[in-house]
Amino acid sequence: MLRFIMRRILVTIPMVLIVVTLTWGLIRLAPGNFYSGEKKLPPAVEKNLREKYGLNQPWYVQYYRLMRNVVQLDFGTSLKYEGQSVNSILVRTVPVSAILGLLAYLLALTVGLIAGVLAALKQNSKIDYASMALAMLGISLPSFVLGPLLVLIFSLTLYWLPPARWNGFPSWNLLLPVLTLSAIYMAYIARLTRSGMLEVLRSDYIRTARAKGLKELDVILRHALRGGLLPVVSFTGPALALLVTGTVVVERIFALPGLGNYFINANLNRDEPLIIGIVAFTSIVILLFNLLVDIAYAYIDPRIRY
Amino acid sequence: MDLHASRWVQIACVLLTLALVAASCTTRANDSQFFGLVKPPAENVLRYISGDEPESLDPQVSSGQPEARIYMAIFAGLVEYGPKTDAPIPELAEHWEVNNDNTEFTFHLRPNLHWSNGDPLTAQDFVYSFRRALSPALASRSAYLAYYIKYAEGYNSGAMFVRDPQSGAFVLARDVELEAQTKAAETQSPSAPVDQKQLAEHPELAKGETTELDTPFHHFMHEPDRLVVSGDEAERAKAAATNPKLKAALAGKELVPVKAEDIGVEAPDEQTVRISLAQPAPFFVGLLAHQLFRPVPRQAIERFGAAWTQPQNMICSGAFKLEQWKPYNVIVVGRNPQYWDASNVNLDKIYFYPTNEATTMMNMYKAGEVDATYNHTVPPAWLDRIRPLKDYMNAPEMATEYYQINITKPPMNDVRVRKAFNMAIDKQALSDFRKVTKPLYAFMPEGIFPGYAKVPGDGFDPAKARKLLAEAGYRDASGNYDPTKFPINQVELSYNPSESNRAVAEFVQAQWKQNLKLTVPLKAIEWKTFLDTRSRLEYKGFSRAGWIGDYADPFTFLALFYTPKGDNGTGWWDPKYVKMLDDANHQLDPQKRYALLAQAESYMLDAQPVIPLLTNATNLMKKPYVKGMYPNPQTLHAWKFVYIERDPAKWDYGVPDMSAE
Repeated sequence: MLRFIMRRILVTIPMVLIVVTLTWGLIRLAPGNFYSGEKKLPPAVEKNLREKYGLNQPWYVQYYRLMRNVVQLDFGTSLKYEGQSVNSILVRTVPVSAILGLLAYLLALTVGLIAGVLAALKQNSKIDYASMALAMLGISLPSFVLGPLLVLIFSLTLYWLPPARWNGFPSWNLLLPVLTLSAIYMAYIARLTRSGMLEVLRSDYIRTARAKGLKELDVILRHALRGGLLPVVSFTGPALALLVTGTVVVERIFALPGLGNYFINANLNRDEPLIIGIVAFTSIVILLFNLLVDIAYAYIDPRIRY
Repeated sequence: MDLHASRWVQIACVLLTLALVAASCTTRANDSQFFGLVKPPAENVLRYISGDEPESLDPQVSSGQPEARIYMAIFAGLVEYGPKTDAPIPELAEHWEVNNDNTEFTFHLRPNLHWSNGDPLTAQDFVYSFRRALSPALASRSAYLAYYIKYAEGYNSGAMFVRDPQSGAFVLARDVELEAQTKAAETQSPSAPVDQKQLAEHPELAKGETTELDTPFHHFMHEPDRLVVSGDEAERAKAAATNPKLKAALAGKELVPVKAEDIGVEAPDEQTVRISLAQPAPFFVGLLAHQLFRPVPRQAIERFGAAWTQPQNMICSGAFKLEQWKPYNVIVVGRNPQYWDASNVNLDKIYFYPTNEATTMMNMYKAGEVDATYNHTVPPAWLDRIRPLKDYMNAPEMATEYYQINITKPPMNDVRVRKAFNMAIDKQALSDFRKVTKPLYAFMPEGIFPGYAKVPGDGFDPAKARKLLAEAGYRDASGNYDPTKFPINQVELSYNPSESNRAVAEFVQAQWKQNLKLTVPLKAIEWKTFLDTRSRLEYKGFSRAGWIGDYADPFTFLALFYTPKGDNGTGWWDPKYVKMLDDANHQLDPQKRYALLAQAESYMLDAQPVIPLLTNATNLMKKPYVKGMYPNPQTLHAWKFVYIERDPAKWDYGVPDMSAE
């Protein structure tokens, strides 16, 4: 097990470097520059800028410098935001995205699991249809529709909740974005739990457990749920990684100072160090969460051994 | 199950629709004069959407308007943008003098100015800040705005003076000028150069003299211009190749870099800032309100480096001081008790919310969470509903849209053809179609520069347009206009792709088709390529252009045709026009100067190198209780005049009166 973990962590390093290299190449292919704007800059001003940020050096020097920095986990200074290091931006924005993502996922997990289990237990009942219809709605309603809709109802009509902005944790400002963000995950988890449970409930070991006279609650919580959760667990890894590393749409709709908001602007601004920093961070988190999922698998399903 | 599920979805959809309808009904039922909740904030504060997250809080680093509005709260300049017209009003400088050819400005600071930490703010701070703004190492993107200052461009671009190693004398610019240039130079600077030796003996010979403030530096500024050559050897060789005099002047000489100490800014005493320019620029005072020229705290910068903009390190000079900076969230500024005019500052705090998501800020505005927004924030789809409301601010802006004409290629080399195409566009209809605009007939945006006589320009006259084309030779045997004779394949209308550019281009195309029976092909070109074809005059016919003024003076628009290069893009360049502008800029009386500039504008329009289309208009929201804030031509607000009015009788119902400063 330990060897497996070590090997996976070692594989992560070249993967991140490849991702960074690809990103770096793509930024270079994109037209425009971080300083290009509506008015043409005089050549002298442009020259000063290029010298200041080392853009006048040959590409291999720039690439070497980038790689050296990435290996040391130092992504340099943002081009757009003068004097702010990429690491300081990450330190500031990751908690915002993480709080939002974790809360949304917790909510999604709680509601999704309960709905999914109930639907599976009472298959083809009204509860089943209702929760699956809602889940369908959650999956098909994108957050850029759901978010403004919630704002329209709760902020602009009822004037109950603030329509946007970050106000620390905890605060009422979080409610709408968390709700918006969790909807689709809630829906997926409900559906995954339902199908997982349905499959497990028909399996032999559940029948055995029931035959042995275990209480129904025990059968469901200790035996069925454990097996039925496997699809949810494998879904959790990438989902949680994406949630924690920022959700572009929701952060923009609600003007939240998270990683996603920075990421989209960094791309629009051609802010190379910031783009690379966020991409590298995101890929590390995704690889890490996938590893955690694999480890969790081993504990939930005794048949899996590495 | 699927059938049932879809039934549930249907029910849910119906419910959602009902909720939406209910929502829209309730909002309609609200006070229909204004958009959303109208409830002044409990405290004496302003909550303002400031647009993009500021790139930096260092006023000399970032060049954008979102930042400019924040700098206006925490940094004061020699002058400030007037709240109604953006014309400069005294700020840290109490008054100033201009010399007789608009090349030297002497500013007198108010007594007892202080930074927010209590340190005195003196003329030396301005000298330090101007030098910093121009230093190549800082690489400021706005540095070019200061190029009017003597030797500023040379310092910023790493250029060199040329010195004779034996005598120590510098080579002068006039020594290497070719015949034609010398003549032009003489018309530009009417005052004959004063010999340095003579100056040393008779200091009163210096122009714009205040003899008690005479300094060696002042003499240096009034010496004949030194020759400045590129710091790059290849570029120098290129210049020398075309100018034998320059080649001779460079031979055997040493090159001396232009230093920070050489630029035309000095502090003859603690309370005087004297600025010498490389060319007459009467509008220079207006330019000084720009963030680039606002003094920055030397002490904090030298101690903390780039981190000096953090709230705990920041030292401010404006009506407010920085209290909090949470990127992508909020910037809070509070009263600065050290500010010279602190007793007249109305607000206790301003909250700047940085967001550029139009729907989000409109939501916040509607919910009453913010009191005003920055410019161009109402999304086009909302305009029909919001324009009639009394908190919508719609006023002329210092920005224009026009089409450049490539006058170097036929058939556009004929002024009659150019005039015909201009007259064949119904600009009022175009403006109605574009909504947030006013029609533009001359080159100067209308209603922006008080006292500037409007140049009428040609109106919409399709009959005359056809007549002009007939006169230009596109006629049948009986002398009537014949569109089939027109070489339409030699003309295109190119624009950089964007929804609005395409809409305007299609509209204009339809107008020409209707009025001239000519279908001009449209051509969308990617932005960077577009700029290239435009500046190299590789386009045929028409090319889209827009211009936003840099400072509150007509010259910012007229200067586009001052040189054949740069943003001109038409191939039209006329020494007589340049002379007219120069004459105007030598004129000290503002009224006479405006009259001369208007003549120049009219002269340029007679040649019709452009087709004026639209003046842009401001497009922002402001709650009625926010007073002292005006949709001025650059929507730059001097915050100390802004206040919250709690008496509804005194609120602004509509755009406030901006006629007098």
